[in-house]
Amino acid sequence: MTTEKKLTGAGLLFNVLEQHGVEHVFGYPGGAIMPIYDALYDSKVEHFLCRHEQGAAFSAVGYARASGKVGVCFATSGPGATNLITGLADALADSIPVVAITGQVATAAMGSDAFQEIDIFGLSLACTKHSFQVTDINDLAKVLHQAFAIALEGRQGPVLVDIPKDIQITEVNRSLDELVNLENKVKLPPANVGSAIALLNQAKQPILYVGGGVGMANAIDELRDFAKITGLPSVSTLKGLGAIDPEDENYLGMLGMHGTKAANIAVQECDLLIAVGARFDDRVTGKLNEFAPHAKVIHFDIDTSEINKRRIADASILGDLKVNLPALAIPLAIKPWQAVCHEMNNNFAWDYNHPGESIFAPAVLKEISDKMPENSCVTTDVGQHQMWAAQHMVFDDPSNFLTSAGMGTMGFGIPAAVGAQVSRPTDCIIAVSGDGSFMMNVQELSTIKRFQLPVKIVLIDNAKLGMVRQWQDLFFNGRLSETDLADNPDFIMLANAFDIKAKMITKKSEVSAAIEEMLEHDGPYLLQVKIDAQENVWPLVPPNTANDKMMEST
Amino acid sequence: MNNYQLMITADDKQVVLERILQVTRYRGFLISGINAKVNTGTNIGTIELLVRSERPIELLVDQINKLIDIKEVKVDNSAS
Repeated sequence: MTTEKKLTGAGLLFNVLEQHGVEHVFGYPGGAIMPIYDALYDSKVEHFLCRHEQGAAFSAVGYARASGKVGVCFATSGPGATNLITGLADALADSIPVVAITGQVATAAMGSDAFQEIDIFGLSLACTKHSFQVTDINDLAKVLHQAFAIALEGRQGPVLVDIPKDIQITEVNRSLDELVNLENKVKLPPANVGSAIALLNQAKQPILYVGGGVGMANAIDELRDFAKITGLPSVSTLKGLGAIDPEDENYLGMLGMHGTKAANIAVQECDLLIAVGARFDDRVTGKLNEFAPHAKVIHFDIDTSEINKRRIADASILGDLKVNLPALAIPLAIKPWQAVCHEMNNNFAWDYNHPGESIFAPAVLKEISDKMPENSCVTTDVGQHQMWAAQHMVFDDPSNFLTSAGMGTMGFGIPAAVGAQVSRPTDCIIAVSGDGSFMMNVQELSTIKRFQLPVKIVLIDNAKLGMVRQWQDLFFNGRLSETDLADNPDFIMLANAFDIKAKMITKKSEVSAAIEEMLEHDGPYLLQVKIDAQENVWPLVPPNTANDKMMEST
Repeated sequence: MNNYQLMITADDKQVVLERILQVTRYRGFLISGINAKVNTGTNIGTIELLVRSERPIELLVDQINKLIDIKEVKVDNSAS
């Protein structure tokens, strides 16, 4: 006689994950999540063992950003859960839909300082969009459905579900609830369309300021149509890169601290700023009260709290960009202003002439961008290499450029590339990293090895924490403090230890062949690019300075 | 420093009060007083929150409104 295996809370978790179309999760097992890992045996969900819970969280973020699906990660209680926090904070800052499942000690032990017990529910308040702790098995399915709905509704974000061990092993009814879509939680006031159209018609020098919200709203086509019909000169934030068609003749590039000269000057001179899914971040505005000082503002967003947060909007258009952008797409008579912007684009184009034999990182990244296959996805870490990638690589979709924008988290690039590669197995995934950032989640090379992921890693190596060193040189009287990394390991030997083919280049003459070898290699590859430690990222808007007062050299 | 009185209604869910207090502190508002109670029949909580800040109260209202379990936030303009 056979007896049917009883469904437990852990089994129910996987049933709900499958109901939501989850095929892949990233995680790391441990004591309080063992029933869930046991139930994994009977599930269709494929688990990717990362080598640190932070790696699992960033892989879930990379997966979500590259695919448009919800990223899912698992961790055990205590240190496993706390190790997720940086990834969740990163997802919150960049509005990424992630569902994190944490094991918790049994409910009877909660609050007793049990082994590997931490109040992750309490810790989650500041780094998630919402969080749950399940204390009744009858709530589990409903809570999990809510977690997915909340992660995706309105402004997307991370949700944590903490599940005590006794809930995981409790038997439960097999029936599943039907999926219900959640509408935007906040009731939005009517869009101020009439005022916005009047502002558009009055403007002589308008600029379209594009943020990450466009990609999150899946409104790229609507944005490009809006840009084409209006003829607006446009600029992009770091997270918005790829939303505007890079071939658009009116596109001026990234604005802000390391933005293009054309973008920053145009914004400073504009008389109307049309912000779309952008939040006037301090890295964008520079000195806030001198940002776009002559401009009125139209602000499109899904999040009411972004309106008037850092800049008063003359017209606010709250709601779905896919609906609202077409409503304001009207032809504008701004030819003289377009001509000014075209001239700035030509006059301030990037210069790749670089004397000497040492490798010029911007030129390397441009060449990779030119040669990488169509629909390649680039991840970055944080620092100088990140800004060079943003400046000199070209992206035709925000899902093809994954960078930690709001939180600026070093260690993001390699695990995010793991998640991106899992979600898009046939696309070329390139992680651009720096020698400081690379070491922050270097253990994830083991995940690349374990699953034979063909991730290409471009390691821009100046044996420094380059961006901090640049600031110490420029703004701290050259008093270099704890930014020298001359004792880095042998990165080639390190990569080889993980069965990753690797090559180091030190001269300009080696660049082209090395890029081609990397891109043609059928498997993971690390290209270590040694650069001069004194190279800086230009232009640079100094802190608390207006964006048109940028530095272009020392 | 401006004083404001908020009247918040919320579903009586786990840590809803902690969420409100965390957002209030993080967004730059000091709490001068609080009075909270739950209607056990409807499971609706009402929270009176006295806060002070140099910042406009709308910044806090919008942030509290985003919290999943919040039903309504009203500003009592009679407070000063």
